[in-house]
Amino acid sequence: MIRFLLSLFAGLIVGIGLGLYLGWVQFPVEYIDSPASSLSPRYKDEYTVMVAAGYMADRDLTGVMQRLRVLGVENIPAFVQEVTERYITTSRDVDDVRPLVGLSEALGRLTPIMEPYRQVRLPGQSS
Amino acid sequence: MSDSVTLDPPRPQPARKYTRPRHLISWPLLVVGLVIGVGLGLFYAWAIDPVKEFDTEPWQLSDADKRHYLVAIMLGYAYDGDLDRAVNRLLSLRLPGDPIQAVADAACYLASTGYVDSNSGLRAVRQMMAFYRLQGKSGCADTLLPAQDAPPTTVVEVVLPTATFMPPPTKTPTPAGEGRPTSTPVPVVVPTVQPRTSFVLVNISTFCRADASGVIEVNVQDGNGRGIPGQEIRVRWDSGSDTFFTGLKPERDAGYADFDMEAGTDYLVEIPGHSNSASEPLAAVPCTTSDGESAITSYRVVFRAG
Repeated sequence: MIRFLLSLFAGLIVGIGLGLYLGWVQFPVEYIDSPASSLSPRYKDEYTVMVAAGYMADRDLTGVMQRLRVLGVENIPAFVQEVTERYITTSRDVDDVRPLVGLSEALGRLTPIMEPYRQVRLPGQSS
Repeated sequence: MSDSVTLDPPRPQPARKYTRPRHLISWPLLVVGLVIGVGLGLFYAWAIDPVKEFDTEPWQLSDADKRHYLVAIMLGYAYDGDLDRAVNRLLSLRLPGDPIQAVADAACYLASTGYVDSNSGLRAVRQMMAFYRLQGKSGCADTLLPAQDAPPTTVVEVVLPTATFMPPPTKTPTPAGEGRPTSTPVPVVVPTVQPRTSFVLVNISTFCRADASGVIEVNVQDGNGRGIPGQEIRVRWDSGSDTFFTGLKPERDAGYADFDMEAGTDYLVEIPGHSNSASEPLAAVPCTTSDGESAITSYRVVFRAG
């Protein structure tokens, strides 16, 4: 009888461990209908860059605030500044940095590290 | 009778339930325990204490937030014109069916809601329309929002007099009425639609300097980035417009020209007849230089031959 109980118990222990591994690691729950505030930082950054690019095209700060509000950040100017400085310090694509700097400046968050990107010179542009 | 009895050697007994060698583990019960354990483990991991939501990807967003993300993709495309990048971003949304058509459907939805009540929303939906139309798609937004098409081509006939010089005086009087200036009307056809765009506005940046306060610096470049002299530039504002030409300050650049703004006025910069869209309004607003001096924001505008 003890032999049976031991086998059952051992099977349960191994099975529970296997089930947890499968349920947490291999096949975790995938959420849908998530709010934009739960986006991964990578996609939040990308979204911010795209919104900043839109700002460069239409200079509509109201639209920017409406679009960034869905990310659930409390202080939008501070968030844009943080993303911009992170893009600069991690040497991201200058085509992404430029609109971010433009938006930061419009939000009154231009910092010295952004200054060089305000006047990005194109090849062949002498002034 | 013999006392000796010959016994056959004992035959091996068949293994019976109570004589079989015992294993430490009962494999059937172990398997049963394993199956039950896996079930319990999965139930706990999926239902009771699932993985906390993190690293959410765009395709996991709600429909409303997917549309926000889609609008942002279109805004990004409007800025950089990178179709591959835009399509890759659309694919990250895992939209059902054709992603371009999904843009048309989203534009249709947004155009039928209050989203287009604001200029920002209207502009975004128009951008979506421009995107999917370029890819040969259509949606109900095309009918809900009258397209911002170019005005129909109309022809304006302008009659210009042709001047005829007076003949030099002669000693022989000529009869009255002869030799007088005559004007021959010549119809000139002026199409109101501009020729095909050959310049694109590639960059606008701002700067704040006391020695160059409120200046629009324009650079017109060819495809290789070399300045193009003699190119006409037009600046428009509420109450007027002005034209000037590049190359008058060759010490700066052959394709350079500048224009002084008045504080508090918005200006549009364009290349007449060659630029299908002017710059966004450049506002002559106050700024503070790095030295703490007050100045007016200046702009650097770059047009490039497309």
